Amino acid sequence: MTSHVMGIDFGSTTAKAVIIDLDGEIVAARVSHMGAVSDQAVKEAVADVLAAAGLSQSDMKRTVSTGYGRRMLDIADKNFTEITCHARGAIAMVPEARLVIDIGGQDSKAIAVDASGLVVQFAMNDRCAAGTGKFLEVLARAMEISLDAMGDTAMQATRELKISSMCATFAETEVISLRAEGNSKPDVLGAVHAAIANRTLGLVSRVGKVGPVVMTGGVARNRAAVHHIERALGLPIILPADPQVAGALGAALIGLDDYRAEQARQVAAPEDEDFARQMVLGGACAPACKGDPVMARMVAGSSMTAGRRALLAE
Amino acid sequence: MGRVDTIIGELGRIAEDPVGYVAGWKERHGRKAIGVLPMNFPVELVHAAGALPVVVQESRVPITLGRSLIFEYYCGYTRSLVDQAVTSQLDMLDGMFIVDHCVALLGAMDAIRYALPDMPVYLAQFTASMDEPWSPPQVRDEIALLQARLAALCGVTITDQALRRSIALFNHDRALLRRVYELRRTGRIALRAAEMQVLVQSAMVMDIEDHAAAMTELVEVIDIERRPAADGVRLHFSGHFCHAPQPELLDLIESCGATVVDDDLYTGYRYISTDVPDLADPLDGLTTWYFDRNNNVPCSTRAQKTVDWESYLVAAVAADRSEGVVTLMPKFCEPHMLYFPELRKALLDRGIPHLLLETEHEGLALETVRVRVEAFVETIKRRAAVAPELA
Amino acid sequence: MPLMSGITDPKPFVPIANAAPNRLLSTRAGGALVKDYWDRLFSARERGATVVWYNGAALNPIFQAAGIEWCHGEAFGARLAAMHLEGPAQRTGEEYGYSNELCSYARTTLGCAVLTKRAAETSGSSLMPDQDVLASRLPPPDLFVNAYAGCSTGQQWDEISYRLFNKQLPFFKVSYPLLWGNNPDDGYLQGAEWEKASHYVAAQIYKLIEFLEAHTKRKFDWEALREAMHYIKRASELRLEAMALCRAMPAPATFWDWIASIAPINFLPGNQALVDYFAGVKAEIEQRVVAGVAALPNERYRLAFDGIMNWNKVGWLANKFAETGSAVMVGRYTHNSFWNEPQLIDADDPILGMAQHYLLCPFNHSARVLGQLLLRECETYGVEGVVFHATRTCRSASNGQMVMAQMAQRAGLQTMFFEGDVADESFYKDAVLESRLEAMLETIDVRRKLG
Repeated sequence: MTSHVMGIDFGSTTAKAVIIDLDGEIVAARVSHMGAVSDQAVKEAVADVLAAAGLSQSDMKRTVSTGYGRRMLDIADKNFTEITCHARGAIAMVPEARLVIDIGGQDSKAIAVDASGLVVQFAMNDRCAAGTGKFLEVLARAMEISLDAMGDTAMQATRELKISSMCATFAETEVISLRAEGNSKPDVLGAVHAAIANRTLGLVSRVGKVGPVVMTGGVARNRAAVHHIERALGLPIILPADPQVAGALGAALIGLDDYRAEQARQVAAPEDEDFARQMVLGGACAPACKGDPVMARMVAGSSMTAGRRALLAE
Repeated sequence: MGRVDTIIGELGRIAEDPVGYVAGWKERHGRKAIGVLPMNFPVELVHAAGALPVVVQESRVPITLGRSLIFEYYCGYTRSLVDQAVTSQLDMLDGMFIVDHCVALLGAMDAIRYALPDMPVYLAQFTASMDEPWSPPQVRDEIALLQARLAALCGVTITDQALRRSIALFNHDRALLRRVYELRRTGRIALRAAEMQVLVQSAMVMDIEDHAAAMTELVEVIDIERRPAADGVRLHFSGHFCHAPQPELLDLIESCGATVVDDDLYTGYRYISTDVPDLADPLDGLTTWYFDRNNNVPCSTRAQKTVDWESYLVAAVAADRSEGVVTLMPKFCEPHMLYFPELRKALLDRGIPHLLLETEHEGLALETVRVRVEAFVETIKRRAAVAPELA
Repeated sequence: MPLMSGITDPKPFVPIANAAPNRLLSTRAGGALVKDYWDRLFSARERGATVVWYNGAALNPIFQAAGIEWCHGEAFGARLAAMHLEGPAQRTGEEYGYSNELCSYARTTLGCAVLTKRAAETSGSSLMPDQDVLASRLPPPDLFVNAYAGCSTGQQWDEISYRLFNKQLPFFKVSYPLLWGNNPDDGYLQGAEWEKASHYVAAQIYKLIEFLEAHTKRKFDWEALREAMHYIKRASELRLEAMALCRAMPAPATFWDWIASIAPINFLPGNQALVDYFAGVKAEIEQRVVAGVAALPNERYRLAFDGIMNWNKVGWLANKFAETGSAVMVGRYTHNSFWNEPQLIDADDPILGMAQHYLLCPFNHSARVLGQLLLRECETYGVEGVVFHATRTCRSASNGQMVMAQMAQRAGLQTMFFEGDVADESFYKDAVLESRLEAMLETIDVRRKLG
C-alpha cells in the first residue's frame, strides 16, 4: 500500500481534490464544476483524482476537507476553514509570498501570512457581490460576453472609464449606460476590472499591503483582473500554475502535518528527540520543509522556541 | 437544573421581553417607567424619583414602519428605536430621557419625539469632551436639570437621601455583577457569553432590588455549580456600544472552540465597571461617576486626550490572559468605525490575534461568521503549537 | 392614467438639450482667492508660520487675530472631492483602516493627515509622497482646535488627528450643545436654551483665545479681530442681499452659484478682498435682474436642495437640474449657514455673535426648527419641490430630513430623496436621482394643472 494524503475543497461552485505523497508533492489534482455545493461534484472530483493517481481511498492516510461543504464529507478525517487551507496551499506553491489574495465565485479573501506560512490576519468579503466572481458574472451577463472571454477583452481597453458603484446591481446599470453612450466593450470591461481591483485593494488594506503577493481562486485565471489588481496594489502578483487548487492542496498538507505528528509521537524515544522535535516543527512551520536534519540540529541546539524565533526572524 | 440555570433562565426571560416586564412592573407598583438611552445615563436619578429606569433595548422585531423616519444607513439600534416608537413598542414608557450626544442617537430621538408628540422627551446633553475644567460643572448642571425634570414628571421631590439610597443599591448590584466577571476571568466558573449578557442586560431593565436579590443568590452558588471553566481558546470580546449583540451570535462564537473570558461590551463590563462615589452631595457623586467611567474603561464616544481605549484593551487582555480579541462592531457605528484602526494597530503591534465581526440588526448569515471564527481559532491554535511563548 | 383624466394637453416631460446653467462669472474671482489661499498655506512651514488645524466652525477670524495660519481640514477634503483628486487621501484612509461607511469627510481629512505626516517624516527622502499629489500637501499642524457643532463624529475625529501626531501638539476643544429645544419657548434664535448655549460657547471662545496666547506667546490682537469681523459682517450682509435678489423671475443665480461662494465665506481672511468679492457677486446679480438675464435658459421649476453638498458631483448636479429647467433656489447649506445672521454680530464686541453663529451650524438644529426654516425659505423663493440629498456617510446631515420632508408634504410641497455622499462618489446612484427628479417634476406639472 502506498501512503498518500488527500485534500478536498468543497466549494460553492466547484469541488477540488488533490492527492499528495508523504513528501508533500502533488501526485494528482482535479477540479469538478457542477453547481452549488453539490455532493455529486465532490464525489466526481474525488473519483477523478484517485483515478488520475492510480490510487484508492484506502491509500489515503489522511483526508482533510475545506470549503463551504467541509463538514458534509464522511470520508474526511478533519476539516479546516478555507482561510487556513488557502494560506497553507498558496505558500506551499509560492514559499516567499506574504499575502494571499483569493477571489472566488462567492467571496474574496485577503490573508496575511508570516515567514513560516502561518496566518497572521485575514479579511473576507462574503456578504455582498462587490469584488467577487459574482460581480464579474453579473456584469458579463449584462455585456453579453462569456466569463472566459471577459479578461482578454478587457485587456484591449484603450480608454480609462470609471464604474464608481460597488454594488453589482447598480454597477450593472452603470455598465448599460456606458455602453448606451457608445463606449466600446473592451473599455467598459476594463472599467469593470478596475472596479474589482479597487475593491480588492480595500480588502487588502484590512490586513496590510505587504508583498510578495500570490493570487488564488477562480478569478486568478482572469488576466485583466490580475493586471488591474497589480496596478491598484502597486505590487506584482505571482500566479501559481494551478491557483484553483490552493485550498485543496493546503488541506492535504495540513493532513500531512497531522500524519507526521502522529508518526513522530509513535517513534518518539530519547535518542530520537531531534527527529521528533523536527517532525513537529516540520508539520507546523515552513510548509515546504521536508525535514532537514541540519535544521533540526540547529533548532534542537537551544530550545525549540528559540529556534522558532530564529526562523520567524528570517 | 441548578439554581444558577434557574436564575439565568428567569433573568433571561426578562431581558428578552423588556416590554412585557415593564408593563407587569407598572401594574404591580402603580408607578412610572422612564426609558433612558445608552450609554451614560445616571439611572439612579430615575430610581430615586420612584420610577423604573429602563435602558431601552434593541428589539428583535424586524424594522418596518420605522423606515419612514430614519435612513437605512443608521446603526441597527437607532433604527430599531425609531421603529419601536412608531409600532407602539414604547407605549409603556412614561418618558424618554437622553444625556448623550451621539449624532445617530440624537437623530433617532428627534424622529421619535416627532412620531410620539405626547411622549415626554428630555435631552440633558453631557459634554463629551472630558479634559476641560469647565466640563464637570457643565455635567453637574445638566444632572441638576435632569433631576428637576424627573421630579416634575413623577410628581415627587428627589431628596438627597433618596438619591444616596438609590446610588447604594445600584453600586451593590454592580459589585455583584463584577464578582461574576472576576470569577469568569480567573477561570473559576463556566459561564457562556450569552449568559453573562443576560445578567447585565436584565439589570438594565428590571427593578434593581429584585435584580440584586437574584444576583446575591447566584453569586452564592455559581462557584460550586459552574465549576470548572470551559477550556476553549480564551477570547476577549470588545466593542458593541449601546445595544446587545444577539445571543445566537455569542453562542455561535463559543461553539467554534472558544471561551469568552472577558469583555468591554456595553451590555457587559462597560455597564458595571464603575460605581458612584458616596459624596456628601450625590449630584457631585453622579458627576464624578461620569468622568470616572471613561477613565476606567475609555470609550471612543468621549473625547479625552489622557486615556486610550487601546491601552485599556491591551492591559485587559494581559490581565484576563485571553489569546485573542474579537471586535464586535455594529454596522454604521461611527465612533467605533472611527476608532477601530487605533485598536487594530495596538493589537497588531503586540502580536495579539484579532478578528473583526460586523453585526447588523437584521441578523447575520451565521455560516459566514462561523467560517471566520473557526479560521481565527485555527490561527490561534496553530500559533500556540508553534510558538507557545507568543501565545 | 386616471389621475390625468381631467387634464388637457399635458406637456410631456422632455429634458432640455445643452442646457448648461448660466453660472455667475463673478464667483471665479472667489475661486482664485481660494486657490491662492491654499497655495500660500502649503508653504507655511517654509515661511516659519504657525499652523492650526481645525474643523467645523469658522474660527478663522480668531486665528487671524492671533497671527497664525489656519487649515480647515474638511474644507480641504471638499476641495479635493470637487477637483476629483480625493482618491489618494481616501485610499490612504482606507489603508489606515477606515471603513467606507465612516463619514467620508473624516476619512478624507484623516487620509490627508496621514499623507502630511508621512511627507514631514520622510522629507527629502525618496519615500516622500509625490508632491504632485494634492492630498499630501497640507502643512503639518502646530496645534489643533476642534470646534464642531451638530456632530459627534466631527468632535471625535480630531481625537484621532491628535493621536496621529503622537499627542505631542497642543489641542483645544470647544463643545457645542445641540439646539434641541426641550421647552416650548425654545426656537430659532429664541428661548432660554438659546441664551444659555450662546453664553456657554462664548465663554469657551474666550478660553480658546487664552490658549492661543499661551501657545503663540503673543498677545491676542483684539483690534484685528474687530476689524476682521467688521469685514466678515459686511461680506455676509452683501451675500444675503444678493441671495434675496434671486427671488426675481427668472432667477438671476441659483444654489450652485452660492455653493461656489461657500469657501470664501467659510475660511478666507476677513478683509477688504472678501467684501469686494461679495460686492462683485451682488453687482452681477443686480445687473442680471435689470437686464432680465436668467441663470437657466428655460426656467420652469423652482426647487430647494436640502443636505450637505455632494462635492464630487457639483457640476454634474448643476447640469442635471438645468436640463430639467429646474432652478434650485435655496438650501440649508448655503442659505442657513456661514454667518447668515449678521445682525447678531456686534463688530465692536464680536465674541457672543460669533459664538451664536457657531451654534447656528445648519446641522445643529432640531428637525422641527429645520422644517420651519425650510418652509420659510420655500415660501420666500417660490419653491414647489424639495430635493433631499441623503448623505450616505453623514448622519449629521441626514438627521431630521425625513421629518422635514413630512412637514414639507403637509405644506403642499413635493419632495424626493436621492442617496449620495459628501466626498465619496462610490455611493452615487445617478439613475435614481434622474428618475426620481423626473417623477417629482411631473407631479408638480400635474398639480399646477389642477390649480
